[in-house]
Amino acid sequence: MSERALYVYGVVPGTAPRSLFDDVRGVDPSEPVTLVADGDVAAVASAVRLDEFGEAAIEDNLRDPGWLADKARAHDAVLAAAVGRTTVLPFRFGAIYRNEDHILELLRERADFASALRRLEGAVELGVKGFVDVGALAERLAADRSAGEETSAGRAYMQRKQEARRLDEDVELFVAERAQETHDRLAAVARDAHVNALQPGERRMILNGAYLVADDEEARFRDELADVARAHEQDRIDYELNGPWPPYNFAGDEDQA
Amino acid sequence: MTNGSTALQHEVTLVELVDRVLNKGVTLTGDITLSVANVDLVYVGLRLLLASVGTLERLEADAS
Repeated sequence: MSERALYVYGVVPGTAPRSLFDDVRGVDPSEPVTLVADGDVAAVASAVRLDEFGEAAIEDNLRDPGWLADKARAHDAVLAAAVGRTTVLPFRFGAIYRNEDHILELLRERADFASALRRLEGAVELGVKGFVDVGALAERLAADRSAGEETSAGRAYMQRKQEARRLDEDVELFVAERAQETHDRLAAVARDAHVNALQPGERRMILNGAYLVADDEEARFRDELADVARAHEQDRIDYELNGPWPPYNFAGDEDQA
Repeated sequence: MTNGSTALQHEVTLVELVDRVLNKGVTLTGDITLSVANVDLVYVGLRLLLASVGTLERLEADAS
């Protein structure tokens, strides 16, 4: 039997019942999720084996994308079990402690955990991604532009090339303005907002935003997004809402590397 | 067609997850990668994790 340690997912208020986590398993699926409480806050933890999560083992495992995907999913599933039922302050993947005493030491040292929980109370994180059909938008902008111009049959090659470049620039400017407008409108109905790096993919992303939305503002937030989406439909831009997530983006120290 | 869009959706979800779980959240004490023999906190090298993300997406796409 391998030596064991405790993997910590995040913290919840000290009053949160352990039963919140009855239906989920830890990053080691043979282990239940437990709470290590110290006054106002409790760490959400589960046992892990050092031959899987110890320093030497984890270095190897991290190079295995399948392992990493499974564990990241399990980490999220544990925190997600508490979303909407209590407040959660998520930790980044990979916080592992030798035993309960060391977790209690951490909780005592970090008075800011309790204040972070108060800041996040009664809110969830929602994600919004915006995508544009660049080709269709460019055609539309080009059509708008040429509508007023006379078409000369003998336009020089260089001139056409220049116009194409100008059109690309216009498209970029256009989608950047739309994305900013959307973010500003959503941020106005959120408690906090964060713009993340765009993700590459088959569809061209123009916005990747995270919003901390108060529970009683969620309907308004969805309405606002639906409203923006309707207005941008003609620009060949569409939006996807995801979540609710544990508030990963609002844990408070995303500037730390 | 159905398979294609399902696979895409799955892939997006994984990227989303990696973006959050591996990239966000409270970072503890910073960067100690320690010898399990004498210390408590094994903190994972973030760079190593992110380097895996591209591979991860391909793997998931192949699997579905």
